[in-house]
Amino acid sequence: MNQDENWQRVHPASPFVRGWLAIVGLLYIYWQNTDELSFAERFAGDRLIITVALAGAALLVVLVFYFLSWYFTRYRLTATHVYVNSGTLFRSQKQARIDKVQGIDIAQPLLARVLGLAELRFDVADSSESVLRLAFLSKADAHALRQLILQRAAGQATNEPAASMAEPVPDKPLPLMAKVPATRLLASLFLQLPVVIGTLACVVIVILWLSGIQGIIAAVLPILLSFGSWFYKQLNQGWNYTASASDTGMRISYGLADTRQHSIPAGRVQAISVTAPLLWRLLGWYKVEVNVLGTKNDDLDNLQVLPVGDFESVTRIMGILLPDLGISNQREVLATAVSTGYEHGFIGSPPRAKTLSPGAWKHQGFLATGTTVISRYGWLTRTASFVPHSRVQGTEFRQGPWEQRRQLAGVRLHCAGGNIIGKLHQVDAQIAAEFTLAQAARQVER
Amino acid sequence: MSPTTPWSPNSFTPADPAYFKVKLTTWALTWGLILLVSLIPGVLLATGVSVAPWVAIIPAVLVLVIALLILRILRRQVKALGYLEREEDFVVRSGVMWRKQLVIPYGRMQYVEVNSGPVERRYGLCQLTLNTAGAGATAHVYGLPEAQGQALRERLVAAGEEKML
Repeated sequence: MNQDENWQRVHPASPFVRGWLAIVGLLYIYWQNTDELSFAERFAGDRLIITVALAGAALLVVLVFYFLSWYFTRYRLTATHVYVNSGTLFRSQKQARIDKVQGIDIAQPLLARVLGLAELRFDVADSSESVLRLAFLSKADAHALRQLILQRAAGQATNEPAASMAEPVPDKPLPLMAKVPATRLLASLFLQLPVVIGTLACVVIVILWLSGIQGIIAAVLPILLSFGSWFYKQLNQGWNYTASASDTGMRISYGLADTRQHSIPAGRVQAISVTAPLLWRLLGWYKVEVNVLGTKNDDLDNLQVLPVGDFESVTRIMGILLPDLGISNQREVLATAVSTGYEHGFIGSPPRAKTLSPGAWKHQGFLATGTTVISRYGWLTRTASFVPHSRVQGTEFRQGPWEQRRQLAGVRLHCAGGNIIGKLHQVDAQIAAEFTLAQAARQVER
Repeated sequence: MSPTTPWSPNSFTPADPAYFKVKLTTWALTWGLILLVSLIPGVLLATGVSVAPWVAIIPAVLVLVIALLILRILRRQVKALGYLEREEDFVVRSGVMWRKQLVIPYGRMQYVEVNSGPVERRYGLCQLTLNTAGAGATAHVYGLPEAQGQALRERLVAAGEEKML
C-alpha cells in the first residue's frame, strides 16, 4: 500500500448515477405504504415529523451506502497497467495491461449525460472475461484519461509496430470524416426492404383490426415488438453519428439515449464491407461495416462505421481504414467495386451462371490486388467486401452440385472478428481454382 | 474428366477406410431413431387410435427413402475426405455433392484439438480440429488412426510455432 498516493477516486456522483433506482424504489415503497393519506396530510401536523424523520433516515442510509461505494472505488494508472478496485463487502480488484488494451469506449447513459459524466470501457486483448469498466468520471477527465492510456498503449504496443504516436497530441478536434443527419438516417431506415414490408404489414394489420378482426393484434404483437426493437437499435446506432480520423484509425460516436464513443485502430480491422440495399442504390447511399478484433460491440456482430453515406464518405473512410488497396487508381477501383462493371481487371461470373443467379450474376465479381481481395456479391442488397491478404484466416474453395455441372465454383475468404467474409461467387471453376492456389501463396507472405 | 479443384484429389491423404464403419454406425443409430419416431402414428393406428392412414405411412416412407439415399453416398463421402500438409499451409477437402477445399496457413492456427467419440474409439480412430481466429476457417480431419492423429497434431503445433505470423 505504499503507492497509495497514486490511487484516484471516481466522480462523487457515480453511485447516484448507478443507484438512482434505489431512491425511486424507496420513494415508491413509502408511497405505497401510506396509501390512505392524501398528499397534504403527509406534510401536515404530526405526520410532518414522521415524514421528515423517515426521509432523513432513508437519506442517511442511502448516503452511507453511496459514500462507502464511492470511497472503495478507486483506480490507478501506472506505466504498464490500469487498476480498478471496487466493492465494499465483496471487494474486487481488476487490472488490465495497457499494451493489451485494444480500444476504449466512452459510454454515457442518460442520467450520466445529464450530469456530464462518462464511463470508460476497456477492451483488453487477452481477457476472456467481461470488459473492464471505470464509472464515472467527468467527461473531460474521461477523454483525457482515454487519450493518455491510448498513447501509452500505442507507445508500448509490441504487436503493433506501426503505431505512429511519437509525440503526444493535444486533444484537438479531429478531422471530421462523415456525419449522418437525422433526416438521412430516417430516410435510409425506411428505404430498407424489411422496413418497407414491415410498414406495409402494419397498415394491413390496422385495416384488418378496424374491419373487426380483433384477435389479429395478439397474434402479431410479438412480431411488432421484435421489429420495433430492431428498428430502435438501428436508429440508436446511427443517431447523431459522427466519424472522425484519429492518429491510429478512426473514432466514431453515436447514440440516441446513450452516447457511445468508439475508436477503431486501423491495424485491428480485419475486413470491410460496403453494402447497398436495393432502394439505397437509387440514391447512391452505402453502409460500411467492419470486422474488428477485440472490440465486442453490444448487439451487432459487425461494427458499423458508416450507417449511411454517399460515395465520397465511403472513399474517405476506406482511405483511413484501408489506406493501401495495392493499386494506383484507388478511387476509380473503389467506384467499380461498389457498383457493377468489369473495369480495372474485375473478373465476373460467366453468362452460364445466369440460370443460377438470374439477378446477381452481372454484379458478381472479384479483383485481387497486391494487398487486398475485393469481391462483390448479392442480388437485392449488393455487397462489396474488402479483405486484406494478411487478414485471411482461411481460404475455402466450394463447388455445389449445380455449379459442378456448369463448371463454376466459389471461393470464400474467412476472417476473424465478425461475419464479413470475402466471397467469390459462381466464377469459372478454373479461375476459382487458380485464385485459391494464388491466394494460398499470397496469404503466407510476410 | 477430372473435376477442376485447386489441388488434385489424389494428392490428399485419405481418411482411414475404417472410418466408413464409423459413419455407418452413426448413420444406423441416427436414422434408426428418426425411423422409430416416424413410426409412432403407425403404432397408434395399430393400437386402435383413429389416425388418418396417410399420417401413418408418409413420414415413415419419407424417412426410409432419405436414409437410403444418404446410405448410397456414404462411402463416397468418406472417400472424398482428405488432408494435405504443405510447406506453409494445411489443406482439407470434403464433400461429394458440395465439394470443399479449405486451406489454412500454419501461422493463423490458434489451437489444435484431437477428439474421439465412443464409436471412433472402437475402431481406433480419432478426429482432429484445427482452429483459427475466424469462425469459418476451422479445418476438420476425420477418420485418422489414433497414432497418426497424435503425430499430425504434433507436426501442426510445431509448424504453427515456426510459421507464426
